[in-house]
Amino acid sequence: MNPIVTLTLQADLRYLRIASVTACNVAEIFANMACTVGNIAEFCHAYELSVSEAFTNSVRYAEPSRSEKEVTICFSSDNGTLAMSIIDTNAQFNPITQAPDINSYPEGGYGLFLIHRLMDTVSYTRRDGENMLTMTKQSTITQAANA
Amino acid sequence: MNISEKTINNYKVLSLRGMLNASSAPALKTCVAGFPDEQSIVIDLENVDFLDSSGLGALVGIARKKKASKAIMKLARMNERVKKVFEITQAHTLFDIYDDVSAAADA
Repeated sequence: MNPIVTLTLQADLRYLRIASVTACNVAEIFANMACTVGNIAEFCHAYELSVSEAFTNSVRYAEPSRSEKEVTICFSSDNGTLAMSIIDTNAQFNPITQAPDINSYPEGGYGLFLIHRLMDTVSYTRRDGENMLTMTKQSTITQAANA
Repeated sequence: MNISEKTINNYKVLSLRGMLNASSAPALKTCVAGFPDEQSIVIDLENVDFLDSSGLGALVGIARKKKASKAIMKLARMNERVKKVFEITQAHTLFDIYDDVSAAADA
């Protein structure tokens, strides 16, 4: 993993736009450097939307007893793939989710489901009291672009 | 997010501009809550450049309340980025969606 950008924000929805716009911008720069990402807009939107979902969850589930609540977003390159990790110190959670029953008009519960549908890989680890949700989306990067 | 309001044919038309996400969704809910429950509304999404599940949840919640009050809620001018979120979650099946505001407020 080659780190590109690490962003640490207070776990506060006032900074949600910073998180999602940063993800979109990093994805766009990565895609332009790679030169062969098929649909750049779709690629960037996937990262922007996924980080919006993950950051929102991290804020919503931040433990009230903690005085310092932060969310860290890491972007790294791994074999030509852009990996994005969201790290927080909230309680452990189940990263697997099913789609809410839309016919019951649910107002929530879509976040992880959307991430799984948008991104090609989603992995979760829990270590030293930290949750790390890592996601990637495949791009069509050639060997020439990697050279 | 900015919300502008006008009335067309007994519909309150709310035109949203900006991001509809966890940070801005409460403002939309507050705006709609300021109308009588039985007030029918059209939400114009043309200038919503980003919508996440919190924004979607706000729209779904409003739709549920309007349905319970036998009022009508419609959506108009959804762009591809917004449409994608609706389609992945199947939320588009809950709404009447129009390509323009006049058609939505005319039906």
